[in-house]
Amino acid sequence: MSLEAEYRSVRHGAALSRMDHVGLLRLVGEDSIEAVDAVCSGDLWVRDGRMLQTLILDEQGQPIADVYVCPDDDACFLMVEGMTTEDFSARLGRHANPELEIELEDLRHEHELLSLHGPYAWEVLSKWLTPDVIGLPYLSFYRFDRGICFRAGKTGEYGYDLVIRSEDATDARRELLELVNSFGGSEVSLETLDLCALENGFFSVRHGSIEGLTPLELQLQWRISTRKRFPGIEAIEERRARGIRRRLTHFVAREGLNAGDALHGPDARVGEVMTAVFSPGVGGLIGTALLDISVAHPGIDQFFAPNRDSATRIQTVSSPLLVNRSLFVDPHRHTYSTREDATYPPLWQGSLP
Amino acid sequence: MSYAPHITGWGVASALGVGRERLRSALLQGETGIAPVRRFETSPFKAHVGAMVAGYELDDRDPTALCHEFGSLALRDALEHARLDLGCLRSRRAALTLGATLFGDESTESVARDLAKKFSIDGPAITVCTACTSSTQAIGFGADLIREGLADLVLAGGIDVLTPKLFAGFDALGVLSERPCTPFGLQMGTTLGEGAGFLVIERGGLRDAVTYAVLRGYGLSGDAFHETSPDPRGRGVAAAIQGALDDAGASKAEIGYFNAHGTGTMANDTAEWCAVQSVFGSELGGALPISSSKGHLGHAQSAAGVLEMIATLECMGEGLAPTTAGFQGPRPGGPPRPVGTKKPRPLAYDLALSSNSAFGGNNCALVFGSAEPTSEDEERRPVFLSAAAALSNSVSSVEELALIYESESAPTDGELEIDLSSELPRVDLRGIDRASELLTAVTSRALGDAGVRLRGTVRERTGLIAGLLRGSTDSLERFHGSVDRRGLGAPDTTAFAQVLPSAAQGACAKALNIRGPQSTITIGEGSGLMAAVLSARMLARRRDSDQIVAAAVDVRADDVEGGALFDAACALVLCTTPTAVEVAGVGLAGPDQLDEAIAQAQSSWGSNERPELVIEPPKPFAGLPATSSCFALAHALGSLRRGSARTALVASKGTTASLAIILVSTEVNHDN
Amino acid sequence: MTTDLSDYVASRVAILDRVRQILRDTMKLKIEPEAIDPDAPLFGTGLGMDSVDAVELVVQLDAVFGLELANSPLASTKIRTVNTIVDAIMEVRGES
Repeated sequence: MSLEAEYRSVRHGAALSRMDHVGLLRLVGEDSIEAVDAVCSGDLWVRDGRMLQTLILDEQGQPIADVYVCPDDDACFLMVEGMTTEDFSARLGRHANPELEIELEDLRHEHELLSLHGPYAWEVLSKWLTPDVIGLPYLSFYRFDRGICFRAGKTGEYGYDLVIRSEDATDARRELLELVNSFGGSEVSLETLDLCALENGFFSVRHGSIEGLTPLELQLQWRISTRKRFPGIEAIEERRARGIRRRLTHFVAREGLNAGDALHGPDARVGEVMTAVFSPGVGGLIGTALLDISVAHPGIDQFFAPNRDSATRIQTVSSPLLVNRSLFVDPHRHTYSTREDATYPPLWQGSLP
Repeated sequence: MSYAPHITGWGVASALGVGRERLRSALLQGETGIAPVRRFETSPFKAHVGAMVAGYELDDRDPTALCHEFGSLALRDALEHARLDLGCLRSRRAALTLGATLFGDESTESVARDLAKKFSIDGPAITVCTACTSSTQAIGFGADLIREGLADLVLAGGIDVLTPKLFAGFDALGVLSERPCTPFGLQMGTTLGEGAGFLVIERGGLRDAVTYAVLRGYGLSGDAFHETSPDPRGRGVAAAIQGALDDAGASKAEIGYFNAHGTGTMANDTAEWCAVQSVFGSELGGALPISSSKGHLGHAQSAAGVLEMIATLECMGEGLAPTTAGFQGPRPGGPPRPVGTKKPRPLAYDLALSSNSAFGGNNCALVFGSAEPTSEDEERRPVFLSAAAALSNSVSSVEELALIYESESAPTDGELEIDLSSELPRVDLRGIDRASELLTAVTSRALGDAGVRLRGTVRERTGLIAGLLRGSTDSLERFHGSVDRRGLGAPDTTAFAQVLPSAAQGACAKALNIRGPQSTITIGEGSGLMAAVLSARMLARRRDSDQIVAAAVDVRADDVEGGALFDAACALVLCTTPTAVEVAGVGLAGPDQLDEAIAQAQSSWGSNERPELVIEPPKPFAGLPATSSCFALAHALGSLRRGSARTALVASKGTTASLAIILVSTEVNHDN
Repeated sequence: MTTDLSDYVASRVAILDRVRQILRDTMKLKIEPEAIDPDAPLFGTGLGMDSVDAVELVVQLDAVFGLELANSPLASTKIRTVNTIVDAIMEVRGES
């Protein structure tokens, strides 16, 4: 399957993917949320049955794991990207109050994680499960007979993560794939999902190097608490006291840029490219650049990479870059089969420099 | 003679007509009372339909006047149905429990006060102000007055008037349907309504009356989830339904029909269907006949619960299941086959369930029908006071309250400052208003002092009854101010979600994760002590909670008549686990019957001894209508704990009821 | 920095600051304006606002900046992050 075809599945129909790269944990015990609170950087303002995104930082304040916290009465589900379950467990041991009565289960031993993405992902799921799932609000979860369904996603489209018992996973995957195929979609790779995440401004531990960066530069301040102490806070406080000097900013370009390329403005160096990939939706390169805070704004087309062809200028843009189809698809009014009846605004409304 | 609450009559003023006869014939014909709104201009709004009381579609009098008119019409109708003469109530130990929610300057209890006077109801008049669950809860509490022998006859119901501001708030929230609502159907959104309904609930055998049904039980819960959206898993609704079944001593298989809240919004109907499936299971739940009366009556807010119960009673008596007017086909995610015939369809059933849910996460369910309970001799559990917290200018603890009592010193001027976010670091307190902040602070401190950790099942087994007079001043000002400045088309929705008197209780429950039985009530002056009396009675009889926080809040509103002069809050933890102080006696009587309330408390204590201490609300805090009586109870608890006395009486004459509580120290005195 | 670039950035920053101020004051986000990242999602995740807040935010933005988002089917595409709001304002003002 080509990247273009996979991309089309996610952006226009429905796509299935295996999420083998995500750690699945369950902390059991009345104090589970307190334990999670001790290792994560954000305020865990999340109610039972809902999900919240947070981070785990290293001592330098650099994000090392991207975590969904999902409290479930006297337990808490965790979906962890960027850190192994063993490392997470070690972190808990190091930072959580040892008197807390909690037990850590690695759900990976008996479960698989499959996910659905796309403007019609809800329809696939409502056919596979029950029509009720369309009422499930963003960032919440519920149980069904073969597992748990989390409504989340990092593509800007409808997204569902399905934790399915291993013995049911093969059947589930086959059934879901058949449905997805009937929606003109396919199974998609992690590469496609990461591209879609980048287009929509979702943080990913896999989007290039973030060496030496903290949530302050990564525009992830909403994931760090100003009220509690957490691992990495000293580094954050120190940097905040100095002032935020650089900020990750999204850009588009025609071609010929790579991570690490220096970026210059009309009269000085302004920053460097952190990541750059081809986007079928934009029809050019999209990426992130770490820019001097004074110019880290969208809407600027005067920066260029001097080590490249003089034509490789970038255009800084706001995130999300795309006007996702899912914003206009209403599960109560639309279906995949009647998708031609409506007109949708173009995914990408900007222009390349 | 029976202490079971017998329903001997009812009356209505509704969109389907004034008077029960008109309501019944319209229901049986499958008519709808929803029509284009003519009382006020709807051009600023997206929706233009509503369900106004028949004959009052063009009546644009002040909402308070309409409230009285609807209430009087429905009360007269109910008395007639029960074959009671106007004016006979004085001699009958009658009480009023009213669901009403105002969000203007008037104190919420004013409607009940005036109706009680007009109909010569001398007993207590309790107002429940939890928006869409107001009248449902008022029926439950009214039935309790009969069960507890606190009244022989109760008029229980609710009133609401559809005002432009209410319409504006719901319209801005985007929950109104442009066409008449069809709950569980394809049309998304609700339609607002109004009206009044009352049940006559009596102790059986006192007079020659026809018993149409028995109120078997009720259940209360809180979602602790969101200001305006229900918990999508419907857990709060499920808890209320389960609570009602347990209270009724009924099995789920006995329920023959469910009159759902069924507003027609996606969020509500889906959550409610989840709740039905979780309580009844997919088989029983799938077969349970369900409908919503809102297709007929719109969403009559504070009157919704009583009108829907009356609609059910009318159909039940005819061997019919009420239908969902306007229903054409099921929506995905809802019940696949709700009752949606053109007219009510034949169905024989002895027990019905009715449920309502409100902003702030309040849920209330009722179980009623012709079947008498098998055993009505319920045991009463002893109730104790385990902790108290007080907060106001110059008061940050119960100890400081004692100093106020000793010195009678006036509170200092100035703003009362609380740093709640440092007390509750793991709680999202963004956007919390003043009343919510005060209530959350005292509730959290009192529960902390009582050693209650809101984890695990403790959350479901902890209740919260708040006594207060009106919505938080800051939210009211923000909402009314936004309408004044920006017009009805653009009210401040975040403020609208907080203007209800019950918003503070909902916010506090959400912040602290209190999911047990909860409500917001008022009797004007004395509301805090009323909350304590109600909590004590609920804990003694019901089995669905282990502790209830009874709390009071006043937010400074010195520019309105009878408003609080400064900010204050007080919370008491009542529990069934023995502690040093027992709530030994409780009394509740009419506003001019303080002696009667004290006599009741004395008699329920079962002792002739005179309490050693008599504690009245502290004089320096007379400007705190809800809180001062609660302060007295907190001070009495402190005095008994310190050993200043072994027994104490706290009594208060409130605006619409008088109250008395006798506390007794349970510590054995070894000197004797 | 060239004049047109510095003018552009200055006018963008002025709008950005005003939008952050609205978010802090009227949406009661209880954080310092600098802590509101321009690309942070406003709803659901990110700043964690909900549909009730969205209605109020639209009213504020329409009143302060003349955006005419109320009842517009495109409102949901324009108020996704602070930066998308700033873009919409600059478009209305013809500065983009």
